[in-house]
Amino acid sequence: MGDFCIKKGHDLKLIGKPEKSMGDAPVSEVLNISPADFKGIVPKLLVKEGDIVKTGTPLFRSKFYPDMVYGSPGSGTVSQIRIGERRKLQDISIQLSSADESLPLQAYTAAQIGKLSAGDIKSHMLKTGLWFMVRQRPFSKVANPDSAPKSIFISAMGTAPFSPDAEFVLEKNSGGFQTGLSILKKLTSGSVNLVMGKGTKLPALTNAKDVTIHRFSGPHPAGNVGIHIHHIDPIKNKDDIVWYVDPQDVAAIGDLFNTGNFPKYKVITVGGSGVTNRHYLKIRRGALVKDILKSNQVADDVRIISGDVLSGVKTKPDRAIGYYHNMLSVIPEGRKRYFLGWIMPGLKRYSLSGSFLSGLMGKQETEMTTAVNGSLRAIIPFGQVESVLPMDIMPTFLLKSILARDIEEMEKLGIYECDPEDFSLCAFSDVSKMEITEIIREGLEFMEAEG
Amino acid sequence: MKMLRNFLDRMHPKFKNGTKLEKYYPLFEMADTFMFTPDDVTKSGPHVRDAVDLKRAMIVVVLALLPTFFFGLFNIGYQEDATRTILQNFMVGLKITLPILIVAYGVGGFWEVVFAIVRKHEINEGFLVTGFLIPLIVPPTIPLWMVAVATSFGVVIGKEIFGGTGFNIFNPALVARAFLFFAYPGAISGDSVWTVVDGVSKATPLAVAASGVNTSAIDLLVRSNFSWLDMFYGFIPGSIGETSTLAILIGAVILLVTRIASWRIITGVMIGMVGIALLTNLLAAASSNPMLALTPHYHLVMGGFAFGMVFMATDPVSAAQSNAGRWIYGIMIGGLAVMIRSVNPAFPEGMMLAILLGNAFSPMIDYMVLRRHIKRRQQRHA
Repeated sequence: MGDFCIKKGHDLKLIGKPEKSMGDAPVSEVLNISPADFKGIVPKLLVKEGDIVKTGTPLFRSKFYPDMVYGSPGSGTVSQIRIGERRKLQDISIQLSSADESLPLQAYTAAQIGKLSAGDIKSHMLKTGLWFMVRQRPFSKVANPDSAPKSIFISAMGTAPFSPDAEFVLEKNSGGFQTGLSILKKLTSGSVNLVMGKGTKLPALTNAKDVTIHRFSGPHPAGNVGIHIHHIDPIKNKDDIVWYVDPQDVAAIGDLFNTGNFPKYKVITVGGSGVTNRHYLKIRRGALVKDILKSNQVADDVRIISGDVLSGVKTKPDRAIGYYHNMLSVIPEGRKRYFLGWIMPGLKRYSLSGSFLSGLMGKQETEMTTAVNGSLRAIIPFGQVESVLPMDIMPTFLLKSILARDIEEMEKLGIYECDPEDFSLCAFSDVSKMEITEIIREGLEFMEAEG
Repeated sequence: MKMLRNFLDRMHPKFKNGTKLEKYYPLFEMADTFMFTPDDVTKSGPHVRDAVDLKRAMIVVVLALLPTFFFGLFNIGYQEDATRTILQNFMVGLKITLPILIVAYGVGGFWEVVFAIVRKHEINEGFLVTGFLIPLIVPPTIPLWMVAVATSFGVVIGKEIFGGTGFNIFNPALVARAFLFFAYPGAISGDSVWTVVDGVSKATPLAVAASGVNTSAIDLLVRSNFSWLDMFYGFIPGSIGETSTLAILIGAVILLVTRIASWRIITGVMIGMVGIALLTNLLAAASSNPMLALTPHYHLVMGGFAFGMVFMATDPVSAAQSNAGRWIYGIMIGGLAVMIRSVNPAFPEGMMLAILLGNAFSPMIDYMVLRRHIKRRQQRHA
């Protein structure tokens, strides 16, 4: 239990913030599932093209953990399976049928749920495919069901640009949330930490039971789960494991146990200056980006990002939004070249340094593009990178130890507490234009393989 | 403008890999990104990036140097003949400084390009600042060939042999000045180098303050008609760009508002200087050394102290790179500058040596800070 006031960081003020209203739910005919969303999982296909599947039918399983299966988010026909280089499964497309058929799944009464053991819960989640909702730190991969987490984190606040408001999302969907929390409590010997913003009022959150409530305030990344773990229950070494679940997925887990319904929907935001209708949408899990954007006018030469503009990934219209993402951000590509940009006053350039005139007039909502705004240079430590990382970690020195592949030093400097998304503002503000998030990612992959 | 863009786009393929001009790509890149911001888009997250880049940051430093540069031009003429108009003084200064500036930029730029081509990396903007700093920290009478030799030494030995901008241990402009100081002491110290009139010698306030026994430095200054305000405004003999504390402080405001310079370092230098100066003041009565009596506000306006504090100590590469380290580094430089000035009669100008010492110690300071940080993390996790 605690109040945490984060000082370091920055809230990007971008044009294209989604309005707090639900748009018309887009109609999906095809769903797409990409196993690449699941870090640490080597998928083994369980279906072939042309197979008829119901909602919940296993599509693939984990190679190293055969009980862990992924259930189809809809019913219909497996229309396409794409295999990439080295026979790596890329994605599975499901052509939805008009009738929606689900595999019969068991529902539990409140009394039954109270008696379930951790093993019962795990096996039910594994065989229904909801286990994928549980991830672990370090390494941000799908949780190993056999590991013993010291605590579980649910971060019900988003500070990244265009993040959905957790209260707004859970308000309509709070039924299963408490059940989900109580179920997760049985999976850890420690506590379930529910983190919310300082101003949160929704009773489903503020009156939640079986959890320890923490409140965070301050600029982004104050809402990142990595920052919460760091301040509440830091990861000490490779085997010091913490699990975390998205609040919408907590509600989905609760619903599954309460009603036996397989989760088919989630709420996302659509934002960014590249689209005209910026709003919240209830979409099918696995819905294609082009269906989500159907009711929207998308500008030319834009980048469509699954997730937020800082830590999301580039995606295409015929792909689904990422399994763990709840935002679709559309911003213009920045190929425009400014004449003598280094000397112009820069009234409309966005910068955390004060080196443009815009900095003297306070931060205004600005249209930002994908332009790098400079070229790669050696590390010149101006101190910007340190000023946006609210962790007891010295980023410049950690980066150097990663580049040198110095395992011992990386461990001492806290690599296990890191996740690329927590360093995205560092990469944003870096004058030398280093790919800091990529370096952190490389470091973590190296430690996972070697350490 | 469109024509220029089209021209550069037409030239681009001629410098691509596998062409005859391939190795001169750094030159093309420099011209291209000088005229227009680059068109690179982000490959992965974060998909948006801050508008600032190294070019912009370095230009801001040059901008911050302009007030002291322009005052320096005026002061050269003013020291020669105080009765002329401001414009005349200014023109005299320009005639002397422009050649020094051109030599520093020309020679330094040449080395920068040579190393960029050999090492196949882009030309680094850091030299924009180094090339501008060098003319500001030499006396107006400096022979141009010495500027050329010192700049070469500063850029090649001070920076490029370590791997270029970002890898250097010492501030290249200071290395150039230190080279002059030890190789050609007659051209950079003494009483006759500060005015451009032949045969006229004018001592700098620092030399005056150190030139007596059993008296106080402030008395010596008063006897030579150096008032504190004159020194603050900069109407005194000295290196081209470092006499006016006022102009330097204007530059400091620019650097601090734009967050290019570390406020921790500047504050640290001030604390170190005030602390040690007050200490020497206490000892002054018991000693015959006049410099011990010099109070902190005099230290600030004399010699290269203010210039070094704002523009030299704050070089982010050669300074300590951790926040705690920046405090220690700053305090150390401020304190050492006063100590060298007051206790060592051979070096009236202590700031240059203090900063070079600070540069030499900064990796060690960072190492100490890092070990403490690791220890604290381990205790927190225990």
